[in-house]
Amino acid sequence: MSDAEIVNEGNGIAKLPLAAALLALVGLFDSIYLTIHHYTGENVPCSVTGGCEMVLTSAWSQIAGYPLSIFGAAAYFVAFSLALLAAFGNRPLWKLFGLQTLVMAGFSFWLIYLQAFVIGAFCQFCLLSAATSITLCIIALASRFWRS
Amino acid sequence: MSNGKNNSKTPLIIIGLVLIVAVGGAWWFLGQSNAGIKNTNKPTNAKAGQTPIVTNIQGAQPPNMLGSANASVTVEEFADFQCPTCGVMHPKVKEVVSTYGSRIKFIFREYPLAIPAHDKAYEAAVAAEAAGLQGKFWDMQNLLFSNQQAWSANPDYRKVWEEYAAKIGLDVDRWKNDMAGLNAKARVDADLARGRALNVNSTPSIFINGIKLEFEQMTVETMRQMIDAELAKAPNASQPAPSAPAAGNSNTANVEPKKQ
Repeated sequence: MSDAEIVNEGNGIAKLPLAAALLALVGLFDSIYLTIHHYTGENVPCSVTGGCEMVLTSAWSQIAGYPLSIFGAAAYFVAFSLALLAAFGNRPLWKLFGLQTLVMAGFSFWLIYLQAFVIGAFCQFCLLSAATSITLCIIALASRFWRS
Repeated sequence: MSNGKNNSKTPLIIIGLVLIVAVGGAWWFLGQSNAGIKNTNKPTNAKAGQTPIVTNIQGAQPPNMLGSANASVTVEEFADFQCPTCGVMHPKVKEVVSTYGSRIKFIFREYPLAIPAHDKAYEAAVAAEAAGLQGKFWDMQNLLFSNQQAWSANPDYRKVWEEYAAKIGLDVDRWKNDMAGLNAKARVDADLARGRALNVNSTPSIFINGIKLEFEQMTVETMRQMIDAELAKAPNASQPAPSAPAAGNSNTANVEPKKQ
């Protein structure tokens, strides 16, 4: 079943998908943190030096009443699962992972755009998530070139 | 799904574990913090010994005031219409103000922060003050806070405000003129100057008889405790002061029309 191109180098666990899986974990826990933060509703005063939650309370922070981060957490969990299975030799899932991270990276760029040009403020943990998504996508794309 | 021989189950087990840790952890944290919020709401007590901050910079005169000008307790809030936390505080402050009615003097001060994310805050403050020039400050203030998300990131926010102006029965043309004029702006600037003199560096900032509240103290419960403590210090503690609107501005003491 396994094409063993990007996978099964020596010890049977492919390094690139494994790195991707670990990175997806970072994204997963970042999203979980943001979700918890959303529901525990700890408001921070706005000040000249920042600290204000413009991004996390903006109109774009929710879809149908659910915080965006819940969808992010679900996406990262799927990405993690796909990458891990790929690391253990499932090649088709690695392609699926590539496709998924492409969508996630695209969405991240849109969120960065919103923060920069529409809301006019950034949120660190949102940026971490964007960086994670984009890096995952780069790993997925890079793996195609490295092996072929 | 699985394709290896010996390790076919390993990834699935790891995935399962991660799922359990993620969902379980989130669940646990949410439970913890809910319990935490319940517990911490009460003990954040009024800190004894905090000294009132004073300045002789008066702010906009007459101020936007609710309650009684003669009350022994003054609650002064500095807020920014684009600050989400001020939006969250708005109903809480309203609750406190309506609880005490004419036993306190509540003053709202404009404090639009000059930060990029608050690009419309100053203008919103001017819009509220311009409504105030027609005696409708509190109606506009309420609409701006209650609908913060609807206009805050809306490029057509001026249209939205115009709808509010019409809704509360303003002479919209006059209101627009006042927004462009100097009077409303001067009021905002005066409030800003007072805020700066009081070292206000974040919004919302609330002072009770000059004592600046910590952010954790900005709960209905704690504010009530502090107001009660201040009321108790006054000579006629239990006597509600007569509702006496300060002269000059119809935005003073007009939310609690006491039928006495």
